[in-house]
Amino acid sequence: MTDMTLSTPEPRKRRSNWQLLMANRLAAAGLFLFGFIVILAVLAPVLPLPNPDITDQPNRLLPPLADGHLLGTDHLGRDILSRLIWGTQVSLIVGVSATALAAIFGSLIGLVAGYARGATDSILMRFVDMLMAFPYILLAIAIVAALGPGLLNALYAIAIVNIPFFARNIRGVTVSIRNREFVDAARLSGKSHPAILFTEVLPNVLPVIVITMSTTVGWMILETAGLSFLGLGAQPPTSDLGSMLGQARAQLFTAPHASIIPGIMIFLLVMSINLLGDGIRDVLDPRLRSGALDRPMPVTKIARRTKPAATLEDAPALVVDNLSTGFDDGKAITPAVRDISFRLGKGECLGLIGESGSGKSVTALSLMGLVASPPGVITAGGVYVGGREVLCLREQELIGLRGGRVAYVFQDPLTTLHPLFRVGEQIAEAILVHESVGKSEAHRRAIELMDTVGIRDARSRASAYPHELSGGQRQRIGIAMALANDPDIIIADEPTTALDVTVQARILELLQNLRRERGLALLLITHDFGVVAQVCDRVAVMKNGEIVEQGETGAVLRDPQHDYTKRLIACVPELGEGQAFLDRVRPLFVEART
Amino acid sequence: MTSKWYGLAPLLAATALALVSPAAAQTPPNVLIVGQIAEPQSLDPQVSTAVNDFRILVNIYDGLVRYADGTLEVEPALATDWTISDDGLSYTFNLREGVTFHDGTPFNAEAVKFNFDRMLDEDHPYYDTGPFPLSFNFSAVESVNVIDEHTVEFVLTEPFAPFLSNLAYPTGLIVSPQGVMDNVDDYGRNPSGTGPYRFVEWQSNTRVVVEANADYWDGAPALEAVVFRPITDANTRVAEMLSGGIDVMVEVPPDNVSQFEEDSAFEVYEQAGPHVWYVMLNARYGPFADKLVRQAANYAVNKEALVNEVLQGTATVSDSPIAPAFNWAYNENLEPYPYDPDMAGQLLSQAGVDSPEVTFYVTEGGSGMLDPVTMGTAIQADLEAVGFDVTIETYEWNTFLGIVNPGLGEDVDMAEMAWMTNDPDVLPFLTLRTGAWPEEGGFNSSYYSNEEVDELLEAARVETDIEARGDLYKQMQEIVYEDAPWIFVANWQQNAVTTQAVQGFSLQPSFLLQLHDVSKP
Amino acid sequence: MTAYIGKRLLAAIPVILGLSIIVFLVMKLIPGDPAQALLGAYATPENVERINRVLGLDRSWPEQYLIWVGNLLQGDFGRSYILNRPVLDEVLDRFAATLILAGASLLICSVLGILAGIVSAVRQFGWTDRIVTFFVLIGISMPAFFLGLVLILLFAVHWRLLPASGMYAVYGGGDLPDLLRHLILPAGTLAIVATGVVARLTRAAMLEVLRQDFIRTARAKGLSENAVIYRHAFRAALVSIIPVIGIQTGFVLGGAVYIETVFQWPGLGQMLVKAVSTRDLLLVQGGVLVAATLYVLINLLADVAQAMLDPRLKA
Repeated sequence: MTDMTLSTPEPRKRRSNWQLLMANRLAAAGLFLFGFIVILAVLAPVLPLPNPDITDQPNRLLPPLADGHLLGTDHLGRDILSRLIWGTQVSLIVGVSATALAAIFGSLIGLVAGYARGATDSILMRFVDMLMAFPYILLAIAIVAALGPGLLNALYAIAIVNIPFFARNIRGVTVSIRNREFVDAARLSGKSHPAILFTEVLPNVLPVIVITMSTTVGWMILETAGLSFLGLGAQPPTSDLGSMLGQARAQLFTAPHASIIPGIMIFLLVMSINLLGDGIRDVLDPRLRSGALDRPMPVTKIARRTKPAATLEDAPALVVDNLSTGFDDGKAITPAVRDISFRLGKGECLGLIGESGSGKSVTALSLMGLVASPPGVITAGGVYVGGREVLCLREQELIGLRGGRVAYVFQDPLTTLHPLFRVGEQIAEAILVHESVGKSEAHRRAIELMDTVGIRDARSRASAYPHELSGGQRQRIGIAMALANDPDIIIADEPTTALDVTVQARILELLQNLRRERGLALLLITHDFGVVAQVCDRVAVMKNGEIVEQGETGAVLRDPQHDYTKRLIACVPELGEGQAFLDRVRPLFVEART
Repeated sequence: MTSKWYGLAPLLAATALALVSPAAAQTPPNVLIVGQIAEPQSLDPQVSTAVNDFRILVNIYDGLVRYADGTLEVEPALATDWTISDDGLSYTFNLREGVTFHDGTPFNAEAVKFNFDRMLDEDHPYYDTGPFPLSFNFSAVESVNVIDEHTVEFVLTEPFAPFLSNLAYPTGLIVSPQGVMDNVDDYGRNPSGTGPYRFVEWQSNTRVVVEANADYWDGAPALEAVVFRPITDANTRVAEMLSGGIDVMVEVPPDNVSQFEEDSAFEVYEQAGPHVWYVMLNARYGPFADKLVRQAANYAVNKEALVNEVLQGTATVSDSPIAPAFNWAYNENLEPYPYDPDMAGQLLSQAGVDSPEVTFYVTEGGSGMLDPVTMGTAIQADLEAVGFDVTIETYEWNTFLGIVNPGLGEDVDMAEMAWMTNDPDVLPFLTLRTGAWPEEGGFNSSYYSNEEVDELLEAARVETDIEARGDLYKQMQEIVYEDAPWIFVANWQQNAVTTQAVQGFSLQPSFLLQLHDVSKP
Repeated sequence: MTAYIGKRLLAAIPVILGLSIIVFLVMKLIPGDPAQALLGAYATPENVERINRVLGLDRSWPEQYLIWVGNLLQGDFGRSYILNRPVLDEVLDRFAATLILAGASLLICSVLGILAGIVSAVRQFGWTDRIVTFFVLIGISMPAFFLGLVLILLFAVHWRLLPASGMYAVYGGGDLPDLLRHLILPAGTLAIVATGVVARLTRAAMLEVLRQDFIRTARAKGLSENAVIYRHAFRAALVSIIPVIGIQTGFVLGGAVYIETVFQWPGLGQMLVKAVSTRDLLLVQGGVLVAATLYVLINLLADVAQAMLDPRLKA
């Protein structure tokens, strides 16, 4: 396990980490600055520098660029450049060692507390709380006072006061890992607790430790400088950057350069480390790395080479014409769906079916420009709602259509409803966006809608939060929200996938009834031919981002043209079929593989 | 939403301007604002131990005697005159009549007795308003007797030459008995004396305000009020002085003195005082047990450069345990050890030591320590230049005293130290006698011992004739100079800066800040 | 909720008590004692012993500690050895000053940090984001004590725009504008690091939230971008921002030690540093007790606020 996480990244991947880091211009700048400073500090013994400890009092406090002293001299006439470089070396060593110490002990506490839980956890965390509640500088001062002066003791003090940082972070991650399958497996296989902790848990926590370290080194160097500034660090004549600043402070008004130069050096050093630390975090954090934390724009980016006609005569409720959407990874656009075309009439239900990754959700979201962008880009085609092309509309107009004429019902209502708002409020909000009615009126209508979608005791349930409702109820709320403004078209993206079978049936029934009563055009996205057979008038089959087959549900079911369709249909098991199901399905897939 | 923030911006800017513009207000006339180095500990003169507090105390209180202007000689204050018995065991004071404390109660012999009994008699009902750390200054007092309303007699257990001088020191200032009885534990924050200024308020960590005492027996002061403001950080004190927030600043950092001197808006004052800064050398263990090595160290350190460069002329080179400010006791014939690294080298080889390794205790700050880390570093560099191998260990002041006062062990060879005293007797008596080794309850932490010195100091202590006493001290200094138990480094010159508006300001060799005659129209 | 708060407060008691034992032991382990500090150079063993007897420091350590706890339970914090003043008076004076300074800094860091974080997240990779990121970086990389000195040099000495130190003008003043003028530099300096931290966190939290499914739902409802960001996304992000502001309180209180020293702000931090160096045990105990209680309370407040915002946490 250790090996896997520590060193499995293949050469290609490692290079890509490096490339990613270098691609981040700020991180690269940080790295170069930090590298430069480190090299200077390491080379201090061989650089042609004057001895940093030789005093020359008659030539004290010379300004920068003085003869023989590039950065001037300090209050004892010592060469500032030389002291700066030597001092940087000291600051670096202390800062990095203190970080390492705090990381080792803090992580150990966090690991043990998070893994053991129970009384051990409580006691360790109370101890950490204690350290946190203590004004940290005071604690450091007291520790140095008790241990005696000197850099090493200052280092211990800094390390101790920063233990809680690591302990808390690592404990959190450990708690979330300790119940994962591979830990359970190791436990069952009879591994001892320490063995599990260090061979199973630790490797998975390691990236978090590295990230925490890289983001705290800078802070640690600042704190070391702070202690030295207060005179608790390096012993004369050795100086770190903080004590240089502290000692030169007496001459702040008369010879500001002597304090400003080390001050700026601390700043540059810490800044370069922070830049680099951020870069490392971005590379190591998988979500940041995949760009999953890019801010999505209100409307998907639209970059169509040719503009389709703005209006379409005699069009049904929804027409999609040669729509293509792709994902932009910065260099090229990878297509996700290509040349999608279909029509959907009033009161009609079209099923869009395909396996996951076939592009059906992207298609659905593209219609109202809801594909997250970046990285999404609509590259071609048009979407006509009531005969009017919507993707060429101004942003405000397109947003106006959402939830108004075209409404969405999404898959997992636990994540798609806002967790912090009452459900009644969320429905009312949908009304308020599109209609200028009073709040109480909107609320009244929200309760009505909840009634309509079959939520019993709607008035009291309206003030519930999503997490207080069952999955079926939540999905009914989602549907009520979609119905809020009497839309012409409802796009339901796997509305029943997250629900169990009985609830699924009731939700489908609800959708069917609504469609009939209100004359809705329903675009139903699903991976389940059973659902399609039950609900849809027509079906479009998607594979690898394209529609491979389209037609009347009955016709397609009876006589699928495309192999893929055949396989999808075959995948719907029939009750009581048993082992025969696998025999029936196997040949279809063997063909596909060859 | 965003546009709302834009609307707020001008409002914020306007507020900021309104707050910023009327800064740097000048201090009002007839009110003197003094930048102190710290918050006072207490305004009870028997409780207080810090020079910083003394600067306030001497303006609120009077003692029986005081130091005459510009000297360290005593003159009458609340006592108009006194007689000393021939055996030196009885002092009788005639007290000034018609003096009242600020709280309206009369000053009389009973009040004097109350003061000393409170401090010295463990059974006194107000003894627990202490502790009285410096009461040992009067440990020779056996009893205080009220002869009549305006006559009081002190009986000593043994002749004690520094007695009058100690009475002039702040520990001898007279507090109002009524004030102590009324406020008990809180007297230190509600002081009442007989001095030129009357206590008004003490706002913690912000200011102590005193106002003129119109009925002062020595004439009402010209100022209406004095505000003492604690500003611990020297740079901040300088900044406040430069930006016009204070009128007087004490203990100007050496590097800022010339800045104020060049600026015609300010006046710089300097005054030598009874201060000695030295490095004690471990005479019992290690290389400094050899006199030659101790002398070598004295030759090796460039004291001229230290006082003129690091201390920017705010100190003079020292050569004796007695400060030149005690002019009657200081031996003028001595010349400081010259800076002579070659001589130091010769002495080292003569002593047969080759690059001795020594540990040097340095403090980070402390009363009278000037710029101890910088000075220690400079001394380290000078010693290393002649072959010593010096390791510095720095300690915060109280830790430093805690490890130096019990005596330097085998692992410590030298330690910085400084003393400010009110009598030439104090420093050598407490730090150079064999009887003052730490084990005996003294401060001779470096274990110097010379019988001749011991005898001279004992004799001087009981000698009441000042000239004869001075001679004894001068002989002692010659021996000590030769023995070199310390590296003699510096005598500090106390300094202060005032704005041009401040008149009649002067510094005293006693390091006390008498503001009676100051005016600021 | 009340039960929860009660439980949290009870849980804080052992933490604070444990803290006081640590403080007590550390203070006892530091060489030197209050008598040393009082007597300075005159600390002969005899004098030290005399004063220790008067201060009750000649008793055994457990005895001293128990006496302290006993008095504390009766509301008596004891007397400061050095300041000759009831510890509680001094601590409360100082506490008020620190509360003003730390409160102002927390206000600045929360408001500015959150605003900057939102703007920076909303305009991700735009020039506003770059500028904010740049200033945030300067903020978290700048030694606060150094910045304080530079600001004094510029604003107080060079331009004479703002007072260099203290909390009120020495003479006159004492009103609110006077306090605010004195507050600008120290509170601003103290807030710099925390502002950077809060801004970074807000940016990250906002970006995280903006990717959530419920934001897509909000968009699908046809909400305007402003409503999506400020009503939906920010509300959700705030849940993870508030505890961090609670944690920042610890750092602001800790950082106050430097700032109070540099700006002569008569606060708790400055008092504690001095009390440690003068071995003023009871004052240190009282000060740490108050600071730790404040820290615990603010974090409790943050947790309560978080629970109010997030109904899922109420259970």
